[in-house]
Amino acid sequence: MTIKVGDRIPSTTLEYMSADGPVKISSDELFAGKRVAAFAVPGAFTPTCSQEHLPGYVRRADDIKAKGVDLIVCLSVNDVFVMDAWGKDQNAGDKVMMVADGGADFARAVGIVVSYLGFGERSDRYSMVVEDGVVKTLHIEVEDAFEVSDADTMLGEL
Amino acid sequence: MTISVGDRVPSTTLHHMTSDGPAEISSDELFGGKTVALFALPGAFTPTCSAKHVPGYVAAADALKAKGVDTIVCLSVNDAFVMGAWGEDRGVGDKVMMAADGSAGFTRAVGLDLDLSERGFGVRSQRYSMLVRDGVVAALHVEAPGAFEVSDADTMLGDL
Repeated sequence: MTIKVGDRIPSTTLEYMSADGPVKISSDELFAGKRVAAFAVPGAFTPTCSQEHLPGYVRRADDIKAKGVDLIVCLSVNDVFVMDAWGKDQNAGDKVMMVADGGADFARAVGIVVSYLGFGERSDRYSMVVEDGVVKTLHIEVEDAFEVSDADTMLGEL
Repeated sequence: MTISVGDRVPSTTLHHMTSDGPAEISSDELFGGKTVALFALPGAFTPTCSAKHVPGYVAAADALKAKGVDTIVCLSVNDAFVMGAWGEDRGVGDKVMMAADGSAGFTRAVGLDLDLSERGFGVRSQRYSMLVRDGVVAALHVEAPGAFEVSDADTMLGDL
């Protein structure tokens, strides 16, 4: 079942790259006590994501944080090495935290999963604002669209 | 069952990045009538691979081709976009074809899959090298877990 506004974020394990290598983090810890702007994409280095989605959030990071967001998170079903390389490629720096959902556990738990030919199970494209672990807004794109999960739409809601 | 020297490589579909975007290539098309030096690894952008495996084959590409290799293939269970980006990052140019086995179809068919689900990686490929002549395995070097000793470009050069 797909997660909805008012629901609590499911407990799964995610991973990110630190200066000392890959680090596992529970979704509880990632979202607890914070206001998080999260967006998810079907794959690192894929055209729409690389050209629009992630760069939009990188560009708007200061504006989003100025509106009371503690953390901006980019989620994808890729491993932590790929997410780190993609973040570097797109200059995510400390503006957007690149979070790996390698086994698609989080994507499955929030019920936002797609299967692409030759890609295995991935996350569909969406954005959500999460306050202390509870979903406040949620925008899931329809099929291949990129219309509602962008940084500007999120900014308008904060 | 793991593939052995003398076996025919299985028929599966792989992907690679072209200037027009991702393209399919059948393993029959990839290996048919050619001598192919293939090496496989657990993941794009991972430390050992990035630091040694791919650059070794890029550096040895001319020497391998001088010994009759038509195509050098780097294979990983990643999608074509990730493989394309990794190839650009490593500057492989037209020396090494970055082949994506996104759903691990080829990897499972040769019996060299590696379950890294607990690491959040899902099913990946073991690290190995394989010399294939007209679709038949002529040499095969599978690394022990974590090792990088026998699947390097220099060993492959010695096999030719």
